[in-house]
Amino acid sequence: MVSTQLTAQLSAEPTTISRRPSAAGRRRRRRGVFAAYAFVLPGFALYALVMLYPAVQTLLLSMRDWHIAPGAVSPWVGIANYTKAFGDPIFLNSLLNSAVYTAVTVPLQIVIGLGLAVLLDSKLPGRTAFRVLFYLPVVTSWVVVSLLFQYMFSSGDGAANAVVVDLLHVVPNNVAWFQGRWTAIAAICILGTWKGIGWSMLIFLAALTGVPKELHEAAAIDGAGAFKRFQHVSLPSIRPAMTVVVILLVIGGFNVFISVFLMTGGGPDNQTQVPLTYMYDQAFKYYKFGYGSAISFSLTALVLVISGIQYWWTRRSTRM
Amino acid sequence: MTTSQRRRRIDYAIRYLILGTAAAVLVYPFLYMLSTSFKTRSLVLGAPLDLIPSNPTLDNYAQALGANNFGRYFVNSAMVAVVSTALIVALSSMMAYAFSRLTFPGKRVLFTAIVVGLAIPTMMLIIPQFLLARDLHLLNSLQGLVPFYVGTALGFNTFLLAGFFETIPRELDEAMIVDGAGPWRRYWSLALPLARPALATTVIFAFLGTWDEFAWALTVLNDTDVRTLPIAISLFQGQHSTSWGLVFAASMIAIVPVLIVYIVFQRFFVAGLTTGAVKG
Amino acid sequence: MISRSKVAWAAVAAGMLALTGCSGGAGAATAAPTGSGSAAPLSGTVTFWHAYSADSPEVKTLETTIIPAFEKKNPGVTVKDVAVPYDQLHQKLVTAVAGDVLPDLVRADIGWVPELANLGVLVPLDTSMSDFTTLSDQSYPGSLATNKWKGHYYGLPLDTNTRVLLYNADVLKKAGIAEPPATVTDLVAAAPKLKAVGASAFADNGAGGWNVLPWIWSAGGQITDPDVTKATGYLNSAASIAGVQTLVDLYKGGYLPDIILGGEGGVSTSDGLATGKYATILDGPWMYPIFASQYPDFKLTAAQVPQGAGGSISVVGGEDIVLTKSSKNQAAATEFMRYMVSEEAQLAMAKVGQMPVLANLGDKLTSVNGYYAPFITQLATARPRPVTPAWSEMDAMLQDEVRSAIKGDKSVKSALDEAASKADALLANVQK
Repeated sequence: MVSTQLTAQLSAEPTTISRRPSAAGRRRRRRGVFAAYAFVLPGFALYALVMLYPAVQTLLLSMRDWHIAPGAVSPWVGIANYTKAFGDPIFLNSLLNSAVYTAVTVPLQIVIGLGLAVLLDSKLPGRTAFRVLFYLPVVTSWVVVSLLFQYMFSSGDGAANAVVVDLLHVVPNNVAWFQGRWTAIAAICILGTWKGIGWSMLIFLAALTGVPKELHEAAAIDGAGAFKRFQHVSLPSIRPAMTVVVILLVIGGFNVFISVFLMTGGGPDNQTQVPLTYMYDQAFKYYKFGYGSAISFSLTALVLVISGIQYWWTRRSTRM
Repeated sequence: MTTSQRRRRIDYAIRYLILGTAAAVLVYPFLYMLSTSFKTRSLVLGAPLDLIPSNPTLDNYAQALGANNFGRYFVNSAMVAVVSTALIVALSSMMAYAFSRLTFPGKRVLFTAIVVGLAIPTMMLIIPQFLLARDLHLLNSLQGLVPFYVGTALGFNTFLLAGFFETIPRELDEAMIVDGAGPWRRYWSLALPLARPALATTVIFAFLGTWDEFAWALTVLNDTDVRTLPIAISLFQGQHSTSWGLVFAASMIAIVPVLIVYIVFQRFFVAGLTTGAVKG
Repeated sequence: MISRSKVAWAAVAAGMLALTGCSGGAGAATAAPTGSGSAAPLSGTVTFWHAYSADSPEVKTLETTIIPAFEKKNPGVTVKDVAVPYDQLHQKLVTAVAGDVLPDLVRADIGWVPELANLGVLVPLDTSMSDFTTLSDQSYPGSLATNKWKGHYYGLPLDTNTRVLLYNADVLKKAGIAEPPATVTDLVAAAPKLKAVGASAFADNGAGGWNVLPWIWSAGGQITDPDVTKATGYLNSAASIAGVQTLVDLYKGGYLPDIILGGEGGVSTSDGLATGKYATILDGPWMYPIFASQYPDFKLTAAQVPQGAGGSISVVGGEDIVLTKSSKNQAAATEFMRYMVSEEAQLAMAKVGQMPVLANLGDKLTSVNGYYAPFITQLATARPRPVTPAWSEMDAMLQDEVRSAIKGDKSVKSALDEAASKADALLANVQK
């Protein structure tokens, strides 16, 4: 729905209102375009200055062996940093790690966030209280939350081990969560999902409130139960929001940084690095800014490709 | 009890059960933080289930509030957050409306630029942005923070709002065009009121993002009188040890405005705003 | 543009000040470290970045005692201290270097000094200060060495510390051990007895230089050659291997808890020591105030690092104070630096846990804080970690290799062989 309309507009030929180039028509069109630019350009100019311009500079930086000291010479190396990145096992592993993180956390955040939003969409007494409670993880600072999660996932008698060993009996002994690659990533995934549920719930809640009540009433009259109404009324109506949420969560998933930085720092032995923590180490600890920028840009390119595929896929499926 | 009444009761019961469980899981770390903030000896964190402090004390809160200039930092953060949020909402809603409802040459290019920017991690841009801030003399000032906070939030919020504006039935727009309304009128009287839930979302996210922002503020701010709250809280952490009760108490105080903004604006998540708008 | 010409002006001014500084003689800085220095009265603002936490006794001493005292001696100079969260100070310095907006003075971790010097942003104090030798002679040699890079000294030690053996006397007594282990052999012998009463003989929370160098050095090993150009033959010498082997053997026997493998969330060293889970740990003077606050019922006791074939050698920590080239007020900044390393200021900071760098203060210190005694003794022989910009990367790499040896993934010899060859590559990069 959304995507098709917007995309249709974007790919449409500029329409001519009248075949006769009347002066009044031209004036009207010019005023329309002028007004449109007045809407877009102030914000876009600021955005371009603060985001796009530095991004281009970073791209150029990635093609040099950049030295940060003022006045130092930074020789041009072309794509050497990029070829180095794609031959770097730590970088490739970091891509895999963030891919796994995304694949795990995004569906969970969507399903749970949507589920909670649906439950809170009705006139349930006390729903404001619940809405606030679910939002609390989102507003708690990463530093505090990472510390707490480290504590909960401690290799001794943390809460996580209590659940996994004593409660669920899935493993016999306490797990040293942060000493193994996949157990550490599991802990990071749980942290990411926990912190993000309130965020996606918020967006879905906003979207669900936009669903006209008549549609629900009509479906109910037709005998549709709650689940069927959800499937055939709510879901299609919030498709635009769903597209937005999925794209943003996927981008956020690949760009995960602060939670990994605080929980494991990329360790042990670089096993839980994600591209951005690896970039941070290279740039800020070892002064290899050119290489760090190349890593970030490679990640960005990958994310754009994935988002592009997602976008194209939703367009296809809605057109059918 | 009628069957529909009973069904509603069961429905509510199930809902409360699920919501309650989810709430317990989601809120637990927050409760842990809250409980630790009332403990004195907190250089080491207590056991996970040790949620009721044995000798609860308000010392941490007193120390946090009484610490040098804490009120000043609070006000600094508030000013920056309010101004930035207002600008973010204004600029991103205008851009989103234009992308969603207006035609102009270059629309596709600009929108693509916005979407592409979403994928760029801001951590990567920090040095060029720092040099830019330096050259524009925006270092070490609160007003210098605002352009960067607003500019980096525009992409996300424009994308989000454009998605929401798309759900407004086009017929309403066309009706107003027939009546001779220009784009500004349509934006102000039609799109904004109907997109209230989405705008509320933007306000909530924008405020949270700017209130909590740490990395950029840390990079560009030096003087104590322009320090923001996240930096102040982080300064309670020591090199060799940290009194977590103090940090958590300060964090609790910092969470209050964000929660207030949330509680106030989530009221707009009310169903039926577009109901009846299409008929007649 | 404005900024560029400002930089040019600053460079010229700095150059002139530097020349005045090393014209070494009449009117210029006198030999007395706390003297008022140059003939012309100093003025201007001096910005000083540090990482003392908010509301801490250190920052309170700095702002209410030290700075006012200095400003009284030098009216016309204002010192502005800027607190930066400790974990972020390095990052903020890096961006400041890139933007050429460094402050006048920085309290830099000793490991950062060679990095910053290598970037060319620090003033070589041995040439800019005529009384440098007088000042530097007063410091512990190990602390002073952290400031040397390519033949020049780029900072002065500001505060120092080292690790000593902190032990739980009750647990040792329970295991039938009267004295804390004085030698590595004693520790290894005590380990099974301690395990029998449920305590780990030793615990540490990492395997980087800060953690393992005391073991390597005490065993008679080295990391690099004296010129810090290569590691092969030193890091993988028989003595170094023996030092690491001790830790590996302790771990294999179950006498060393696995927090050494990293990953947060285990029982911390301080908590374990106080509760008797760990019999000994290595840590610094800050532990005393921490224990006093968190475990007031526990009597914290200290001994020297267990002696090995090479003696009882610990690792030096601490911070140096450095002057940046972008400082527009180098004369005043240098004067404040002098004051910070003067006996007056050092003693004031000693009261709040910052151990002075002045070696002659040893006796006075124990009357300030009794617990300083074992640290003073240990500091006499303590060594700094290799002073090179490559150390940060070398440290991370060393930690990974040692951890894999502890885990048993490879032998100590092959771990250290690999570490040495990787270190060689990193060090070779620096010389370019």
